[in-house]
Amino acid sequence: MATLEKFVVETTVEEEAPPYRKIVSDIISDLGMAGRIAKIKVAIRPEDSLFQLVAVVRGVLPQVILKDFAEIQKGDHEGEILITISVEKHLPRLLQILWDRYGRDSLEQPDRWTISLFVDNPEEEIGSLENLVVDDPRRTLKSNLADMAIRVAPEGFRVRYHSLNGNNFIFVASEDTMQKEWIDEAHTMLKELKGDDASGSSA
Amino acid sequence: MAAVLEPYVYEGGVHKHGLIIELLEDLGGYLVQSTPAATEINLVMLIPRKDVPLMEELAKNILGKLTRAPLTGTEIAVVSPTLAYHHLPHSACDVAEHLRRDGANTNMLGLARGMGRRVALSQDYERKLINEHDIAVYSFGNFSDCIMNKKPKLFSGVDVPIVATGGPDLSTDDVEGADVYVGGIGRVSHRLRNEGEIDSLDVLNKTVGEVVDKLREEISRDPLAVLPARVMKEIKEQVPEINDVLTPAPITLQLDGMRVKLPFDQFHEKLEQLDLDEDVSLSDVANIMPSKMKDYILIKIRRRSETGFTI
Repeated sequence: MATLEKFVVETTVEEEAPPYRKIVSDIISDLGMAGRIAKIKVAIRPEDSLFQLVAVVRGVLPQVILKDFAEIQKGDHEGEILITISVEKHLPRLLQILWDRYGRDSLEQPDRWTISLFVDNPEEEIGSLENLVVDDPRRTLKSNLADMAIRVAPEGFRVRYHSLNGNNFIFVASEDTMQKEWIDEAHTMLKELKGDDASGSSA
Repeated sequence: MAAVLEPYVYEGGVHKHGLIIELLEDLGGYLVQSTPAATEINLVMLIPRKDVPLMEELAKNILGKLTRAPLTGTEIAVVSPTLAYHHLPHSACDVAEHLRRDGANTNMLGLARGMGRRVALSQDYERKLINEHDIAVYSFGNFSDCIMNKKPKLFSGVDVPIVATGGPDLSTDDVEGADVYVGGIGRVSHRLRNEGEIDSLDVLNKTVGEVVDKLREEISRDPLAVLPARVMKEIKEQVPEINDVLTPAPITLQLDGMRVKLPFDQFHEKLEQLDLDEDVSLSDVANIMPSKMKDYILIKIRRRSETGFTI
């Protein structure tokens, strides 16, 4: 947790903040997000059934495109495309995408670095495969942030608002109807957290 | 006059643990539960008070440990607002585990709609299931406002003693409907193993122990017609099918009865006709009912004032 620049938890009763801070830090650690979040603030008002979380995330990595880590060429057999990868960590995700798109029967894996793909028109497919998005860290981050916020929030607060705008994440939850002032309050919180005039998300 | 039985747990190796069981039978004690785990074994027992030193000596000789387990013979419901990851496995499971260390049998009970403040509620079926236990331990969160003003509605319809746990340090009077409140055990996302946390769990065990003592005292004023442990022994001898049940506690003792984990439809008649003494069968001294838990059998033993005799 040492990597967080700012970590604030506020509750109506001051003594109740430290246990909640521990919950937040445990969940951030469990999800392996300590390195992704720069600043975070959580405010809870149990008497209003209100939970607010704002966070500033660190710069997001770019998308991973197939041609960035693989060589794609025509194979020796008819209709064969040979994909030779150089980074193995993307392989499970790549295989899942290819299986979904072409079916398991169209794929062979002679070794851990090579995938043989059999299609009807290899020339066209090679073009589209080169720009295939294998991993989108931004999308993963968004789902991880939402997951973190839902885990941190009290369970009964199921009326939720969340937004990820640039590097700014806002999450508001309650068990009652969502009120606009709560969301506005969260935007103000975000501004204060960032310590500058940059605006948050426009709902 | 029946011997006074003391609850103890033996922890040791599987090697020669049969000697403990043999001695227990010779002394007239009861084996409540036996839990083997690889080369180790845990035996939960009721030992006649005057013979405890004998058992301690034997345990020492075979390099095992005999410790008092004050919650032996109780079945406790650990009630969590839901079964979601907000409440489980920590702290509700930690609470249950700590209670089991003192000999209690615990059941985790996650309410279907116990979460939240305004929306929290319990169902009739859940209340009936909780009432089948000796004590209900409710595991709440970190906010005093919720614990004092909103969560007590989950106690309605629960007739057994209620122990509420939560994070803030409140007094029992603040939590309406709870018989006792224990602080320091709120919502956490890590295993309760720090010093302060273990201390709080120890306080909880002690508090639950005091509630059990009160219940036992209340029972002693109008004693049960037969000891639950004795009925358990008779069931083991007369209903051999119980030995094929694979749950950890096929017969779960309660302070005033037991839960027998056999199908009610098939076995209730056999249990009703269980011979306890000359001309006394189990149905003469106990109510045998279908349990709300699966298709199990719930036995509640009647008091002497009702039966007019004890055996």
